[in-house]
Amino acid sequence: MFLLPASCVKEPATTRANILVAAITSDPGHLNPAITTNGGVHTAADLLYDGLISLGEDLTPRPALAARWTIEDDGARYRFFLRQGVKWHDGRPFTSADVKFSFDSVLLRFHSRTRASLGPVLLGIDTPDDSTVVFRFKRPYAPLLSQLDVVEAPIIPKHLFAGTDPLRNPVNMAPVGTGPFRFSSYAHGTEIRYAKNADYFGTTPTLDGVVLRVIPDASTQVAALERGEVDWLFGVPGPERARLRRDPNVVLDQTSVSPGGSNCVTTVGFNLDRPIFRDVRVRHAVAHALDRQQFVDRVTFGDGRMADAPISSAIAFAHADHLEMPAFDTLRADSMLTAVGWQRTTATAIREAHDVAGVRNGTPFAVTFKVMSGMTPYGELLRAQLRRVGIDLRVVSLEPVVFAQSVFTARDFDVSIAPYCQGVDPQIGVQRMYTSSSIAPVPFSNMAGYRSATMDSLFERAGSALDVDERRRVYRQVQELAVRDQPYIWLVETTNTHAHTRRCTGFGVAAHFAATATCTS
Amino acid sequence: MQRRSTVASVLARPAGKVGFSLLLVTLALAILAPVIVHTDPLALSEATLSPPTQVHWMGTDALGRDLLSGVAHGGRASLLIASAVVVIALTCGSLVGLVAGYRGGFVDDSLSRMIELFQVMPRLFLVAIVIALFGPGVDRLVLTLGLTSWPVLARVVRSEVLATRTGEFVVAAEALGASHSYIAFRVLLPNILPSVLVMIGLLFGQVLLTEASLGFLGLGDPNTLSWGLLVGESQGFLRVAWWLAVFPGLAITAAILAFNLLADALSSALGGR
Amino acid sequence: MTRWYVLRRVLQVIPTVLGIGLVAFMLIHLAPGDPVMALAGEHGDAAYYAFMRERFGLNEPLPRQLLTFLTRILHGDFGFSYVQGRSTLVVILERLPATALLGGAAIVISLIVSVPLGVVAARRPDSARDTGISTLALALFSAPAFWLAQMAILVFALALPIFPVQGMTTAGARSTGFGHVLDVARHLALPALALAAREIAMLVRLTRSGLIDELARDHIRTARAKGVGELSVLVRHAFPRALVPALTVVATRVGQLIAGAAVVEVVFGWPGIGRLLLTALQTRDTPILLGLFIVISSSVVVVNLMTDLIHATIDPRIRLL
Repeated sequence: MFLLPASCVKEPATTRANILVAAITSDPGHLNPAITTNGGVHTAADLLYDGLISLGEDLTPRPALAARWTIEDDGARYRFFLRQGVKWHDGRPFTSADVKFSFDSVLLRFHSRTRASLGPVLLGIDTPDDSTVVFRFKRPYAPLLSQLDVVEAPIIPKHLFAGTDPLRNPVNMAPVGTGPFRFSSYAHGTEIRYAKNADYFGTTPTLDGVVLRVIPDASTQVAALERGEVDWLFGVPGPERARLRRDPNVVLDQTSVSPGGSNCVTTVGFNLDRPIFRDVRVRHAVAHALDRQQFVDRVTFGDGRMADAPISSAIAFAHADHLEMPAFDTLRADSMLTAVGWQRTTATAIREAHDVAGVRNGTPFAVTFKVMSGMTPYGELLRAQLRRVGIDLRVVSLEPVVFAQSVFTARDFDVSIAPYCQGVDPQIGVQRMYTSSSIAPVPFSNMAGYRSATMDSLFERAGSALDVDERRRVYRQVQELAVRDQPYIWLVETTNTHAHTRRCTGFGVAAHFAATATCTS
Repeated sequence: MQRRSTVASVLARPAGKVGFSLLLVTLALAILAPVIVHTDPLALSEATLSPPTQVHWMGTDALGRDLLSGVAHGGRASLLIASAVVVIALTCGSLVGLVAGYRGGFVDDSLSRMIELFQVMPRLFLVAIVIALFGPGVDRLVLTLGLTSWPVLARVVRSEVLATRTGEFVVAAEALGASHSYIAFRVLLPNILPSVLVMIGLLFGQVLLTEASLGFLGLGDPNTLSWGLLVGESQGFLRVAWWLAVFPGLAITAAILAFNLLADALSSALGGR
Repeated sequence: MTRWYVLRRVLQVIPTVLGIGLVAFMLIHLAPGDPVMALAGEHGDAAYYAFMRERFGLNEPLPRQLLTFLTRILHGDFGFSYVQGRSTLVVILERLPATALLGGAAIVISLIVSVPLGVVAARRPDSARDTGISTLALALFSAPAFWLAQMAILVFALALPIFPVQGMTTAGARSTGFGHVLDVARHLALPALALAAREIAMLVRLTRSGLIDELARDHIRTARAKGVGELSVLVRHAFPRALVPALTVVATRVGQLIAGAAVVEVVFGWPGIGRLLLTALQTRDTPILLGLFIVISSSVVVVNLMTDLIHATIDPRIRLL
């Protein structure tokens, strides 16, 4: 029977007219965004929930569950006035008790990022009445407003979670939120269905529903888009982009928001514990040896641009212009390495140490490069480029979990690479790469193991400064010092390309991307 | 004397001829890779994603590396991996199968449990788990594949031994007072050789395919240029650069065909048909 | 067949399953990489790790964890998924039918296609018909499943839009009853064929070579000499014994078939356990990994058990040993 050709079979009765079908790469497993920072869960679950505030395209805070707010005590106390008449999808009223419960019992325990950023500075959360929430801090805390959107701090219903284990609550599989869409069904490994929330406090979605379809293989996702089986892809594999651009039924959009976070800079890190890389001249030489434009062209296929400062250009207030980053110059790299004592006998040989501090004479310049499995092409290009200046790179590609353990916990690597997503505020997304207190067994912390008292104090100053100009000046000093010490090489500011069929339009950014979209038949 | 006639008989068959020539070409390409192909398989050129041209006979990949050089050098690694696995599997498999089937009783019981234990573990999953958890590497690939491949051989050998044990040759040999090892190696082994040879052909193919599947799942070792790695790297380019998938795919298929054809010809030659 | 033989074979399953559990447990727990780190994502800290470790009992000494684990398996309890927070068994059973459907369809297709082809080829070895069938089988056998799957999509879903590209049902479809069956059948066609290709090739070869071997044996010659009809020789004398190696291999293929299904599942987005395993591998969801490993291996053990019992029926000498 399965050999029955489709031409004899009628298309199953579906009304795709105003339903958006979007492809996701893996099954999220559950739909509770408050207990995890996992990108897959947030992609699927954020449509159902809201934060106190939302972040606009320019990352400015906008009212969401909180209608307005005031900042008191120089930023040590925040008072949020909640929107009136908001209801959970099951009809129960939303109150300040839900906010307090979400933070105290769930977010500050299970959401690792909120726990790490708010936990150490928060004194407590008060609810003077049903529609007011007060956050009290130990000291002025500037970044709070960028940490309260649905990704960082989704608010979940107290009446369904109180007294339960949030990790095993069945509501995680059939969630009840306040968001623009309500949950319909979840077929594990197949699809998740959503219906529009006609009572949404914001603009009512124009779509009747959304289907998130699990399609693991990237080429299959593209094929499904071309056949019209899905309408939206969160990412398009590099090589396919040029071809899809010629497809009249498909539209491509470039954004700086990627599934791992926003404003990501793919960064090479030296392990400064290794004698080979203790000498800053060697790190500068390696930086000169890299043709970073080739990474943009051949690895990201144009999805991104060469980084021109340690802080992403998308964080406009902190990004430093006109920094002197090491330019691509193999001759210079060559002579610098020779001057340090890394000599080569022929123009193609691997360099060997001659009177290099901490390295035995005759040691070849052979290093291990650890990379997450999805980023192997970076390693292969790096290997080829460094081979030209006589450095031998062994590429070890590891699954993300093993990579995290091996690089950040065991620190067992010479050189590595990571997509550091810098987010909105450098105190959260950038500081972790440089301060000595961030040398910890935590993924995407200070990979290089870089220690500098000056750097530590610069970040301390930036953290307590409330004035934007003052922060800009400090961050410029941070970046100048970083380029001088070169614990990292900032390769590419990556962007991400969405694709959608022409029948669906009006997509928003990030978490609630489908809330404003419409599809025609 | 008998050996020569077997080889001659294999080569007399069309399957044997084709298989042997295919194998010869594949082996020559792999062994002589550095001599035939002068380009370093890892060197970059300015031509990225170039279709086959006079300079790059099989085209280049996204980084600008020459694919012909990749396929030739990749063959060395893939064939070495496959040979190592087959050697491990053959040694363990025929020994355990022969002993289990021939001795029977308690020995057979315990060996059969061991065969079963190793055999029920799904090979691709086990290899995928080992590579994903411990990181890619030829050593663990060969070991895991070898340790999960022998049970199939052992089972086939055992059941063949069980089926021939009471056959007239064995009964006659036992009646004449032949030693156990004489019976096992001189009487039973030649009898089960056809099935074992067929299995070896299959096994070579399976290992090459498993290696390719690991590449497809993104679990290839970027330090060992192999056909599986090339197949894995071609995944994102199926509809953009056909040559990246086609040439490594053809190489894998040709090698597997060679082994299977030879196994076929050999088994019919030994079967005396 | 004696009752003792059956009982002994059935009891032998227990140490095998425990052995599998032991190997899988050691492999996964001794590997580098921490499941708690995977759960915490980018911003965990030591306190968070310790907190989660305690929740999942990962702070206990390894031998104790192993003991708890093995005791639980014997009670059919596989614990809770770290990621999903649901019973591991529920998660696996939810995904098992899709793989069973895919694998079952592939086996049915391959049996229907291959056994007749094998018999036809074996009747006249080295004839044109035999050469044709054998060559076709070899070609199918030499092509990787993921490659066949991708080609199938390119040809039968994109170039000729006959079958859907991915999934087990149409996205968002609410069809029920016969409509649902048809919808699933349309989606099943390409993945099942891609998975069956290798099994077809394998079975054709085995049926053919097994039959040719048998037809050349003494007892067949004797039977022929006695004037037994050709059909009777084939069906009553040669086929049962030629079937022994073929059956052995089919049984040993169940595990490989599930593994092959995993690759096909990835290409077609088929919601089976193969994909569940790959996802669990990425998120280091240890209970799911262990549960799947044991479920898959045990199903192979059970199939082996059944094959042995069938062998013993076909070839009574086996159980005399």
